[in-house]
Amino acid sequence: MPEDKVIVNNLTKKFGDLLVLDDVSFTIGKGEFVCLVGPTGCGKTTFLNLLVKLIEPTAGEILIDGEPADPKRHSLSFVFQEPSAFPWLTVEDNIKFNLRIKKFPKNVIEERTEQMLKLVGLTQQRKLYPHQLSVSAEQRIVIARSFAMFPDLLLMDEPYGQMDIKLRYYLEDEVLRIWRETGSTVIFITHNIEEAVYLSQRCLVMSSKPTTVKTIRTIDLPYPRNVADPAFISIRQEITDMIKWW
Amino acid sequence: MKKTRFDRGNLKYYALSVLSVSLLLLAWFVYSSSANAILSTPMEVIERFAGVIRSPIAGTSLAGHIWASLKRVLTGFIVASAIGIVLGICFGWFETFRDIVWPIFSIIRPIPPIAWIPLVILWAGIGETAKIIIVFIACVMPVVLNTFAGIESADPLLLDAGKVLGANSRQMLLSVALPDSIPTIIAGMKNALSTGWMAVVGAEMVVAREGVGFLIISGMDNLDISLVLVSIVIIACISACLTFILNRMEGVLCPWLKLENK
Repeated sequence: MPEDKVIVNNLTKKFGDLLVLDDVSFTIGKGEFVCLVGPTGCGKTTFLNLLVKLIEPTAGEILIDGEPADPKRHSLSFVFQEPSAFPWLTVEDNIKFNLRIKKFPKNVIEERTEQMLKLVGLTQQRKLYPHQLSVSAEQRIVIARSFAMFPDLLLMDEPYGQMDIKLRYYLEDEVLRIWRETGSTVIFITHNIEEAVYLSQRCLVMSSKPTTVKTIRTIDLPYPRNVADPAFISIRQEITDMIKWW
Repeated sequence: MKKTRFDRGNLKYYALSVLSVSLLLLAWFVYSSSANAILSTPMEVIERFAGVIRSPIAGTSLAGHIWASLKRVLTGFIVASAIGIVLGICFGWFETFRDIVWPIFSIIRPIPPIAWIPLVILWAGIGETAKIIIVFIACVMPVVLNTFAGIESADPLLLDAGKVLGANSRQMLLSVALPDSIPTIIAGMKNALSTGWMAVVGAEMVVAREGVGFLIISGMDNLDISLVLVSIVIIACISACLTFILNRMEGVLCPWLKLENK
């Protein structure tokens, strides 16, 4: 079992009287790929926003490497549902953005940018602006930008929600490849159970509001996974049954 | 890619533009040729224009008058842009500053720039400074308002992205909010330039010995309608040239917008 990277202790969030997260606790190991699945509107995005301090919890704590989570101190990245590439920056300058913000040495910035451009297949488009590319390519810029600083923790909030199946499959393989190469810890939110089983080493199944962690399912199938494999189908069915409300 | 109605190479747009201007000239010609019209014909205006080029008015050539106005507009505009952008950023980014200064700004904002002329003359005399101050007052409002609006309405998704990536407040402003606001700021500057022209003509009509506004008032005093019309056409042409230059600048400063609209 890898050492703990993220420790979530009794996390609770209320918006007025509305209890969104109720006493959530779990840990994530260093370099682990974890998926969060749960019914739509169960508070998955709220949970990620808490993790990166976009909102403050009502109670509880989130520790990264034993210290309270803080985007300024920790190397965090976030891929939002909508592509969030900066429109005024070219593909390569978008990738360099957080490396520059975090004041990485120039040679490291160049080296990482080249590596990420190659990994997401955008080397030819490096001088183009996001608007000149398709939505999926824009999301790949954001993914490259997020992985470029080899983040301690990368959070992805349904990043492929708007893409068609073919592109999704391609990008899922791509994210696994980058994850393996950079060794980052990834928390990936999705409502697509097949995607969760395909990607993650562990799957956190959330309940409806107020959200709690219903169960944590370890997925020990080898990569690359086969969606038609009976073991794969069986895990997918098991998780589907857990979040079934009908 | 999105196509705008005013795309380059849009033949229909250019053809209709030429048609509408031709119709305006025709209407002008027809009306001014009638017996009771108090308006010079286009031919008389062209002749007067040639006359103004040949013989100086009040000791200054036509180019000298144009340059006098242009200098005032550009000086006022540049100072207003620099101060207006800083002020707009402060309004948009620093809440306490906004809470303190915005009420004062809101009181001053609706006052027409030319209403300040008497006060400015009392404070700064009848020299160049007074006219530049009037232009400044006219230009600064649109720049402040657009910069403020641009910063305040910066895309929340991009702000969140910057925040999560660990940008501090200064980096958030300079690397996210400000670049995101550039198109809005430039729109404000374009607006400022036209209001600056309005103001300079107003100021020159009250007190000046040179400038395009002086030409208008000189034409009015001497019942020289052709000179008034020559001045109006000159103002329109210079404004169009300046807008063209600013549009070009927008293309250089915001290449991503140019590409977006292609």
